[in-house]
Amino acid sequence: MTLLDVTLQIFRYKPGEQPHYDTFTVQVEDTAHVIDAIDKVWAEHDHTLTFRRACHHSSCGSCALRINGVEKLPCIARFSEVWDGHSPLRLDPLRNFPIVSDLVVDVSGFFQRMSASTMTITRDAESTLPLSVDDLAAVVQPKAVELPDNLTRFNRFENCIECGICMSACPTMAVDNKFMGPAGLAAIYRACQKTDDPNEKAHLLALANGEHGVWRCHSAFECTEACPQAVDPAGKIMALRREITANRFKKTRRS
Amino acid sequence: MENPFAQEPRASSSWLWQVITGVGLVLLLGLHFIANHFIAKGGLRDFADVVAYLRSPIILVLEVLFLVVVATHAMLGMRALLLDFGLSERAERRLSQALTAVGVLTVGYGLWLTWVIIH
Amino acid sequence: MANLEYPKVRRAGRWFDVRRRKLGMWAYALNRITGIGLVVYLYLHLAVLSLLLRGPRSWDSFVSLARAPYFLALDVILLAGILIHGLNGLRVTLTGFDVGVKAQKALFGVLMLVAVVALGAAALMIFGG
Repeated sequence: MTLLDVTLQIFRYKPGEQPHYDTFTVQVEDTAHVIDAIDKVWAEHDHTLTFRRACHHSSCGSCALRINGVEKLPCIARFSEVWDGHSPLRLDPLRNFPIVSDLVVDVSGFFQRMSASTMTITRDAESTLPLSVDDLAAVVQPKAVELPDNLTRFNRFENCIECGICMSACPTMAVDNKFMGPAGLAAIYRACQKTDDPNEKAHLLALANGEHGVWRCHSAFECTEACPQAVDPAGKIMALRREITANRFKKTRRS
Repeated sequence: MENPFAQEPRASSSWLWQVITGVGLVLLLGLHFIANHFIAKGGLRDFADVVAYLRSPIILVLEVLFLVVVATHAMLGMRALLLDFGLSERAERRLSQALTAVGVLTVGYGLWLTWVIIH
Repeated sequence: MANLEYPKVRRAGRWFDVRRRKLGMWAYALNRITGIGLVVYLYLHLAVLSLLLRGPRSWDSFVSLARAPYFLALDVILLAGILIHGLNGLRVTLTGFDVGVKAQKALFGVLMLVAVVALGAAALMIFGG
């Protein structure tokens, strides 16, 4: 077991203060992942460092950030893969999200987009936590997602872990506040695949068919490149375009 | 609170027209090039040659078609770029109107120019 | 979901930042740049054509100007812009209809190769004849 002395250059921001970078050096095992080093910075150096982490195995999507400017999940990024061995490793929050504090971004806009296609189960009630766990049932009314009867059609329900990396990498998300985004559009496509109801399909395609839907994509393919879970949002956007266009021709031919 | 992303927006055909005019331009620009630089002696036409060139009906149709298609493609392209500035819905509509006007003026100018040259 | 304190105009220039970006992003930025250049050229071209209104002398003197080497060099640059924009545009069209999406990088490579070859041939013709 070899130990590494790694230097992290971490983006810091607290409301009312100027954004800046703080540098920390921690010792980790050579097989460690970047998230382990961030944990250590918090534990050993600075309890005010704010970041998200949960599962540590690329399942929850919580920890997404940028390592040396490139979107990654630090829980599966080994130092041997992302670190050159001597330069400080720069950590920044995701692009295209409002920054709450340090490495934590506001994902409410993201989940608004995802819930448009009802691919996520989201709460109707807002998050003021009740004082007792018993009160939770009264406050939280989850919207249930209908599972299809024919479960053998799907080996894996969903690749997307809703990490937001594609949204950060997307050049259109960087400039257009109203863009549905690669995650939102991929979710629409997935929802389309899941349903046999033609009305539901038509509604979903209509959601994607606006000026700030599939047509704002400029084919940069950054989302597919950056996605840690092989969702291929760009491919799904193109597939949506194909479906929407095919439907348009069907409609004009019939009329 | 309403989720703005769950509301069905107005369908958009601009990208479709962009690729249709784009593919059209591959053809029309190709023909324009051949007609102007390969068929013409020395690759460029002097004044008398230009007048004779534009007086041919087939050429006239080609060039007018080319102008309309290129102006449309250019306006749609500018629109795509300017929409990235995060405009309000009203501003977006105004932008589309303004660019349509510019496109019409461009084609109009070209038509007028051609008319004067021929006569 | 705007970025922290970035005004709209500064945000709008983000497409230009191709640092640490992959091929598709480069292609997109390239298409935008050549597109803007070609729009500028369109109006330049229309302005030049207005010389025809001034009669044979104005136009013919322009034509002799257009045969000068530096002018021909500008023509080659123009042609480069046209080829890049047009061929990459075909790629955007194809992938946009879900054709060749998996091969989009290879498609870019092939089409840019075609552009280079065509440009080379054109440069030879322009400066040769």
